[in-house]
Amino acid sequence: MASWANNVRAVLLDVSGVLYDSGGSGGGSAIQGSVDAVNRIRQAGLKLRFCTNESQATRSHFAQKLQRFGFSISKEEVTAPGPAATRLMKEQGLRPHLLVHDDLLPEFESIETSDPNCVLIGDAAENFSYQNVNRAFQVLINLQKPVLISLGKGRYYKETDGLKLDVGAYMKALEYACDIKAEVVGKPSPNFFLSALEEMGAKPEEAVMIGDDIVNDIGGAQSCGIRAVLVRTGKYRPSDEKHPEVTADGYVDNLAHAVDILLASRASNQ
Amino acid sequence: MAARRILKAVLVDLSGTLHVEDTAIPGAQEALRRLREAPVALRFVTNTTKECKQTLLERLHQLNFDIQEDEIFTSLTAARNLLEQKNVRPMLLVDDSALRDFEGVATHSPNALVIGLAPQHFNYETMNEAFRLALDGAPIIAIHKARYYKKKDGLALGPGPFVTALEYATDTRATVVGKPEKTFFLEALRSTGCSPAEAVMIGDDCRDDVGGAQNAGMLGILVKTGKYRAGDEGKIDPAPYVVCDSFPQAVDHILKNLL
Repeated sequence: MASWANNVRAVLLDVSGVLYDSGGSGGGSAIQGSVDAVNRIRQAGLKLRFCTNESQATRSHFAQKLQRFGFSISKEEVTAPGPAATRLMKEQGLRPHLLVHDDLLPEFESIETSDPNCVLIGDAAENFSYQNVNRAFQVLINLQKPVLISLGKGRYYKETDGLKLDVGAYMKALEYACDIKAEVVGKPSPNFFLSALEEMGAKPEEAVMIGDDIVNDIGGAQSCGIRAVLVRTGKYRPSDEKHPEVTADGYVDNLAHAVDILLASRASNQ
Repeated sequence: MAARRILKAVLVDLSGTLHVEDTAIPGAQEALRRLREAPVALRFVTNTTKECKQTLLERLHQLNFDIQEDEIFTSLTAARNLLEQKNVRPMLLVDDSALRDFEGVATHSPNALVIGLAPQHFNYETMNEAFRLALDGAPIIAIHKARYYKKKDGLALGPGPFVTALEYATDTRATVVGKPEKTFFLEALRSTGCSPAEAVMIGDDCRDDVGGAQNAGMLGILVKTGKYRAGDEGKIDPAPYVVCDSFPQAVDHILKNLL
């Protein structure tokens, strides 16, 4: 029996590449067996939380999209970097210049954006024009102490029509231009995993993270003491199993396979 | 100082050393004529991502400088040489005005990337196209990696941040071809047949001209024109071989001490 599955009470699920593949006209499609796998997690009485770095839409739109693919998911179960960034900016009195996707803007309605004293960058996709990136640069370079907040730092992701640059590439561009370090909210930041655990009332040692990103999902969760399992779907590449810095607690073919192992482990303990 | 050296080649920076925009440095044309009478090869070297050789040459001729096209070596030339050495076909993310220096280079089904200052190409779609090429193994050749530059209406992003974005996304390193890279100076010298120990570089940028040349094994002369600011000579170690007021004094120094 795989030891990563022992005494698990809470499951953290990455979404893109684990539940579904994004892109295309319908916004993507469910990965085979995943809809049922989520239902089986619920039926087993495990605590469940969806942890995504996707920052192209608000949490409610995100949950609605997944519901269309057949998933049982509510907005309240989604931990996403947008709300975490809002909390951080409110605590620190920051007023952001927003370089984000248009569909994410409603997430920041409650925050003051005039006379900005920081830049918030998300996966802005088509909004990553030279003019828009340059505008964010000008805001930063004119601040006495430039503050850049980034919703994740992914390198790229897979859409049905090909690989796309993720927010991390543009975060690095602005870091280099201004000679600064961004503050990353979202995976792999420990705060992100810890707040997901807190929201469902679980301890790190009771939880397992399941994701397709060896660094951001697996490495990030492990640094908080959470076990982590890599799926061979989404952006997974075979070289991920020989990553120089991160070794997952387990490798599974897909989410359904992971749930099979989890439920078998529970059955043998009862 | 370095009397043991036998000087055979002189490299001269353009902007800030021979001229500032459309004005020649006083006495520079006459000083260049004197230098041409000495038995040295001349090369004019500059970092440019926008101006092709022809444009540079037209400006120099308007200012009455006696300079030939084949004496000019720019960061675009360096990029082109590297493409030819690697025998690759580039996707060219450069300004339209720089394309002339890449005439005759095959660009169909590209397997390399050349990146200069080209805001019109730095949109999401083109960046994704460039990213996929680089992820498939296409080498990234950066004309330079400047963070930003000054425009009339404020600072604007240079090519460096976009090169950095692609480097991060693909977990690779770009090859930078302009000054102060050592290979830039060696390539500029190549057609003269001289070794770095037989060459001197004259420029107004202490780090990129003087520091770069000295790092490649040449002597470096800093001139106090163009972008020079008081105290610049203290910014590199070892210090410049010599500091002169302007290009004519640098020529005087060479004729008197290095030949």
